[in-house]
Amino acid sequence: MVFSTPIFLFYFLVLTLLAYYVVPRRFRNLVLLCASLLFYYWGEQTYVVIMFLSTAIDFTHGLLVERCKSRGNDRGARMAVASSILFNLALLFFFKYWDFIASSLQAAGLTFMPVLNIHLPIGISFYTFQTMSYTIDVYRGDARAQRSILNFGTFVTLFPQLIAGPIIKYKDLGDQIDSRDTSVEKFASGVQIFMVGMAKKVLIANNVGMLWDICKAMAPAELTVAGAWLGALAFSLQIYFDFSGYSDMATGLGRMLGFEFLPNFDHPYVSRSATEFWRRWHISLGTWFREYLYIPLGGSRVRPARRYLNLLIVWAATGIWHGASWNYLIWGLYFGLILVLEKKFVLRLLDGLPRWAGHLYTLFLVLVSWPIFAIEDFGHLTAYLKTMFGLGGAALADGSLVYYLTSYLPILAVAVLASTPLGVRLYHKLPQWTAQIAGAVLVLAGLTLCTAYLVDGTYNPFLYFRF
Amino acid sequence: MTKKYAVCLTALFCAFTGGVFLLSLLLPKQEFSQLENRYLEKAPALSLEALKDGEFMEDAEAYVSDHIVGRDFWVAAKAWCERLSGKKENNGVYFAKDDTLINRVEEPDPDLLAQDMDYVDALVGNVPVPVYFGLIPTAAATWADKLPAGAPTADELSIIDRLYFSTGAETIDMAGALAAHKGEAIYYRTDHHWTSLGAFYGANALLEAMGLEPLDLNNYHKTTVSQDFNGTIFSSSGVRWVRPDQIDTYVSGEGVKVTSYFDGTPTEGSLYVDSYLEKKDKYSYFLGGNQPLCVIETEHTGAPKVLLVRDSYSDSLAPFLTECFSQIHLFDLRYNLTSIKSYVEEHDIDAVVVLYSFSNFAGDKNLFLLGR
Repeated sequence: MVFSTPIFLFYFLVLTLLAYYVVPRRFRNLVLLCASLLFYYWGEQTYVVIMFLSTAIDFTHGLLVERCKSRGNDRGARMAVASSILFNLALLFFFKYWDFIASSLQAAGLTFMPVLNIHLPIGISFYTFQTMSYTIDVYRGDARAQRSILNFGTFVTLFPQLIAGPIIKYKDLGDQIDSRDTSVEKFASGVQIFMVGMAKKVLIANNVGMLWDICKAMAPAELTVAGAWLGALAFSLQIYFDFSGYSDMATGLGRMLGFEFLPNFDHPYVSRSATEFWRRWHISLGTWFREYLYIPLGGSRVRPARRYLNLLIVWAATGIWHGASWNYLIWGLYFGLILVLEKKFVLRLLDGLPRWAGHLYTLFLVLVSWPIFAIEDFGHLTAYLKTMFGLGGAALADGSLVYYLTSYLPILAVAVLASTPLGVRLYHKLPQWTAQIAGAVLVLAGLTLCTAYLVDGTYNPFLYFRF
Repeated sequence: MTKKYAVCLTALFCAFTGGVFLLSLLLPKQEFSQLENRYLEKAPALSLEALKDGEFMEDAEAYVSDHIVGRDFWVAAKAWCERLSGKKENNGVYFAKDDTLINRVEEPDPDLLAQDMDYVDALVGNVPVPVYFGLIPTAAATWADKLPAGAPTADELSIIDRLYFSTGAETIDMAGALAAHKGEAIYYRTDHHWTSLGAFYGANALLEAMGLEPLDLNNYHKTTVSQDFNGTIFSSSGVRWVRPDQIDTYVSGEGVKVTSYFDGTPTEGSLYVDSYLEKKDKYSYFLGGNQPLCVIETEHTGAPKVLLVRDSYSDSLAPFLTECFSQIHLFDLRYNLTSIKSYVEEHDIDAVVVLYSFSNFAGDKNLFLLGR
C-alpha cells in the first residue's frame, strides 16, 4: 500500500490510529506490528514472508552478537555480524540483482545463471539496509540488542518508513521502539509534516511528473532541445517532491505515533556544489553508506589514491542501490567522479567565485544527471542527452513546447519556489497566532485538494519500485 | 505551538479523515454515476483466492475511490484546480474556446490503420455492389482553431487523406463538408458526436459521393428537443463550468418504419426515442442507442437500399437518409458478427457505406469482420 491513496488516508490510517490510541499502552507495538504487516501484505502478499524471516534471523543474530561480546568472544561476534550481513545482502542480491546479472551475462554469451523474472519486493533496499544496521550497531556497542521479538518486528516492519525510507538506523530508533511519548503537540506537528509531504507528492510531484512523462515518451525525432531541458527540469522537480514528500509523510506519520525520525532532505536544490547537494539529498542513505561502508573501507584516513578509490566504490554502490540497471551505476559513478574532482580542486575554485556561480554549476550538473537516472534504455538515454546538448540535430522548440510550457509554467514556478527554504523562513517569521491560523487553513486546504486529486487521480505513480 | 492549536489541528485532521471514512462507509452506495456516465466499481468479493493474489486489494482500492463521499464534488474540484493552475486540459479533454470541450485524439498506430484499410478493401472485393468509405474527423481536427494554442492532437486530416488515397472504395469527403461549415454548431460542445446539423452536412457529402441529389436545409424546420444535454466529454472531463448543449432535429420521422434488434430479435423502434431525453445519455434519443442491427424502411419504395457499417455518429445521420433511400440497414460490427457479403445478397442491398468517426475507426477491434 502507498500513502497517496484514498484507501490509505481514509481507511488504513484512520483505523490504525484508532486502534493505536484505544488499546492500552503496552499493546501499541503489537498494533503497529499487525498494521505494518497488513500494510505490506496489501501490496506484496506472499513476500510478507520476508518480513517474518528478516525479523527472526536478525533478531537471533543480534542476541548472538551481544552474547559473544559479553563473553569476550570478539571473533564469534564478528562471525555473527558477518553472517547477518551475508543474509541481508543475499536477500537483496537474489531479489534485486539476480536477474540483472543473469541477463547481463547472457548478453555476453554466458548462460550459467538463468533469468528467473523475479518480482522485486517493494521497499527491499530500504528494509534490508535498516536490519543490517542493527547487528552492526549492536556489535559496535552503539545499541543494545533487542530482547523482545515483538519490538524487533515492529522496528523491521514499521509502516511509515517501510517502503520508501528514510533508512533509519537501529541506534537512532531502538530506544523509541521500547518506549516513546505521545502528545497532542507531537501529533499535531505530525499532521503538519504529513500534509506538507502529501501536498508535495500529490499536488506537485504528480503534476510535473506528467510533463516529464510526455517529454520522455516523445520519439527522438519529435523532441526539441528546449523540450529536453524542460523534461529534465520536470523530472528534477518530480523526483525531489515525490521522494522528499514520501519522507515528510513518513516523518509526519511517525510523529503521530510518537516516533522522531531524522530529517532526510534539506532543500538540496539550493546547494552550491555537488558535495553539498549530497549532504542535503536523501541524507539517511548518504549517512548509511558513510557509516557502514566508507568508514569501514578506511574512510578519509588513508592515502589520497586509496581515498578516491573508496569514494568511487561508495558511489558505485550508491548508484546501483537505486536500481539493478546500468544507468543507475553510471549515474552513481557520475556523481562519484564529480565528488572526487570537487575534493581535488573544484571546491577551492568555487570558493573564489560568486555564490551564483556555485548554484549554477550545481544545478547544471544535477539537471544533466537526472535523465541518466530516469531513462533505463541506453539508446534512448544517449539520444535524449544528445538532444539536450543540441547534438542530435533536433529543433530548438516547436508548437507543442509552447503549449506545455504555458500549461505547466505556474506549477513549475510554484515547484521551483517550494524547493527553496523561502516558504519555511517566511512561515517562521509570522507571529505565533498568525502562523497557527495559517497552519490550520493550509492543512484543511491540503486535505481538500489532495483528496480531490487522489479521487480523480489518473496519474499517481510509485517511483521506487526499482529501489 | 500552543496546546490549543495542537488540539484544534488534531481535531481537524481526525474529523476530516474520520468523517470521510464514516460517511463513505455508512451512506448508501450508488451503482451508476449520472455525472460521469459510468457504472461505479462493485464491492470487492472477499475470498481466500482474491486475498492471495491481490485481486481483492486492487478491487478494494478502486471501490473506495469510486464510492468516497462527495465523489462528484472531488472530481469537479480537481478540474477547477487544474484550470486555476493554468492547465488547459483535464483527463485528456481540452478546455477549448466558446465553452467547448474537445477530446484529445491520440496518434493512431499506422500499422493498425493499414490493416483496417485492408479489411475495407477486402469488403470492396467481396460484395457485388459499390462500397463507399467515409471517415468523420473529430472536433479536435475540424475545430482545431478552438483548441488552446499548440495543443497536441493527432493530425487527422492528413491521415484521412493518406488512407483515402490508397483505398479501393469510393471515398466520402466528410472533412471537407464539415470544414466548409466549421463556423456553425456542427459538433456538440460537451459530447464527442456531431450535432444533427453536422450530420446534415455529412449526409450531403455522402449523397454527393453516391451521385445523388443533395438535400436543402431550407426544406426543414429545426425543432429543439432538449437544452439540457451534458454529453460524454462533460462526463469524462470533470469540467462542470460549461453550459449544457441543446439537441435539435430536422426530420420529422413520420411515415418511417424502424425495426431495432437490440438483443437480436426485431422490435418496433423509432428514429427518436423520447424517453432518453429524461436521462443522462441524451444522445441515445437518436434511434435508442447502440444496437447490433437497425432497419429503417421509408415511403420512397423506388429508391435504392443502403447498408451502413457504422458507429454511433450514424444514429443522428439516419433521419436525413430516410429522404433518399427505401431501406437503410445500420450495421454495428461491435455487436453484429453476421457476414456482410451474405447480408448484402440476402437483402438485395444496392450500396454499402462504411462510415466511422476518426477516433472510433482508429480504435475499433472488429473491422476484420468487414472482409468476411
